[in-house]
Amino acid sequence: MPNAWVGYALLAPSLFGVVTFLLLPMLVVAWLSLHRWNLLGPIDYVGLSNWRSVLGDPSFGTSMLATGAFIVLVVPVQTVLGLFAATLLARGLPASGFFRTLYVLPWICSPLAIAVLWKWILAPTDGALSTVLGHPVEWLTDPVLALPVVSAVTVWTNVGYVTLFFLAGILAIPREIQNAARTDGANSWQRFRHITLPMLRPTLFFVLVTGIVSAAQVFDTVYALTGGGPESRTDLVAHRIYAEAFGAAAVGRAAVMAMVLFVLLLGVTLAQHRYFRRRISYDLV
Amino acid sequence: MTSSERGMSRAVSNVAIYGVLVVLAVITLVPFGLGLLTSFTSARQFNTQSPLSVPAPPTFANYLGLVDAGFGRALLVTALMTAVILLGQLIFSVFAAYAFARLEFPGRSTLFWVYVATLMVPATVTVVPLYLMMAEVGLRNTFWALVLPFMFGSPYAIFLLREYFRTIPEDLIRAARIDGASTLDVIVHVVLPASRPVLVTLALITVVSQWNNFMWPLVITSGSKWQVLTVATAGLQSRFDAQWTLVLAATTVAIVPLIVAFVAFGRHIVGSIVVTGIK
Repeated sequence: MPNAWVGYALLAPSLFGVVTFLLLPMLVVAWLSLHRWNLLGPIDYVGLSNWRSVLGDPSFGTSMLATGAFIVLVVPVQTVLGLFAATLLARGLPASGFFRTLYVLPWICSPLAIAVLWKWILAPTDGALSTVLGHPVEWLTDPVLALPVVSAVTVWTNVGYVTLFFLAGILAIPREIQNAARTDGANSWQRFRHITLPMLRPTLFFVLVTGIVSAAQVFDTVYALTGGGPESRTDLVAHRIYAEAFGAAAVGRAAVMAMVLFVLLLGVTLAQHRYFRRRISYDLV
Repeated sequence: MTSSERGMSRAVSNVAIYGVLVVLAVITLVPFGLGLLTSFTSARQFNTQSPLSVPAPPTFANYLGLVDAGFGRALLVTALMTAVILLGQLIFSVFAAYAFARLEFPGRSTLFWVYVATLMVPATVTVVPLYLMMAEVGLRNTFWALVLPFMFGSPYAIFLLREYFRTIPEDLIRAARIDGASTLDVIVHVVLPASRPVLVTLALITVVSQWNNFMWPLVITSGSKWQVLTVATAGLQSRFDAQWTLVLAATTVAIVPLIVAFVAFGRHIVGSIVVTGIK
């Protein structure tokens, strides 16, 4: 079978990549979670001590709680705003395409650069917002404000991206259904509530799941805006993993945290796959 | 309602819709505009007048300051890194996708299942083990460490291309085969020309995600030798915390090339984001 060898040869490079840079790291991270390493010295087997120390560590609990709160602050808001913007763009008024493109700009840019830009806007003394307000506000160092503010910057970045999915979903709804409802006397809110929204359910589910998975991994924004502070209020889990491994040089502990994050995200992703397997006719995603 | 009343209420609601769309556009654009403006303000003016005063006169001093801070090299490293990853990603993903879509060989479906399973591996989780692996083979702080993890084709790209390749009519490929074309000839002369839209999509998504990549370059490089733009920007911000005019010139350099690419290919990107759903 000469075809077979051609097939294997074509697959070889990507198979090397998948095995070396995706599968092997998953084994290495599990192995590392049982070892102690400070980035430079020898790697010592320590059994489950990293697991015990991380799972009993209040700072990891704080980080997971902050991540949960962040997801709750970001995902519903960006979803509702994205849906709202999409319903306006779906009217098909002139220049809708221009606005749609414009709204995606923040999402296309480097999250790190965006965060640095916002760090200036929110700077208490010489920042843009304080200048406009006329008095300084400690947006990023106030323990109560910091997490909502980091969430707001994330929402600002993501709304245009979420809008694209809802817009595609709305435009995929057959016009005859909307027209029939209009003929029957349904007003625009009734059409939205009883036709658009139910038919958008797969899009909604996709947007929510991918929103959760990406919000759970936000790193650049936290790194540049707050560095995890104040009082660890914005110490989201991706930043905690980084700080643990490359700040505190506790690589084994970071590996445990990475595995916990992996298991949680796997659960969310598998829920998504089960949902979509039941809806194979849906072709947007 | 008479038809003129209905036309009237539609006009009113259209005005309201445009009002909201414009407000959203302003909220989107103002941060970019302020950052851009301030990047042309002299440090002296920024410190003595209102931080939002219009640059008078506009100055390139901040951008020249970036050159002194080593941004020229960072820009070059970022461009080179993005180009190498893009090339590898396109070639190897096309190879794999063609094998999965068009060739018969034992183990094909098992291998495909393995590729699909790796879609669930989050990047945040692999950073720490990848760091250890790179350190073990002595590649820490090298150009290869920047590009190797991303240049052999991603499972998502392969999945996307495979779906597309399956829609290419078998007759086209068979005709080329009868003319004596090799598999490579078929890929280059039949499959690639027929797949231009999906290839543009993939190229843009790859450029955006690699140009913006931060966590991996931050971890695996140190010093200025292999520093990319995002890492250089973060470093500048922490070193010159109060020199906002310089820092905002840096964010502008990190952001503007992608906005230009977006304006040039925006049509493709917008469509492709929805198709792929990935960054």
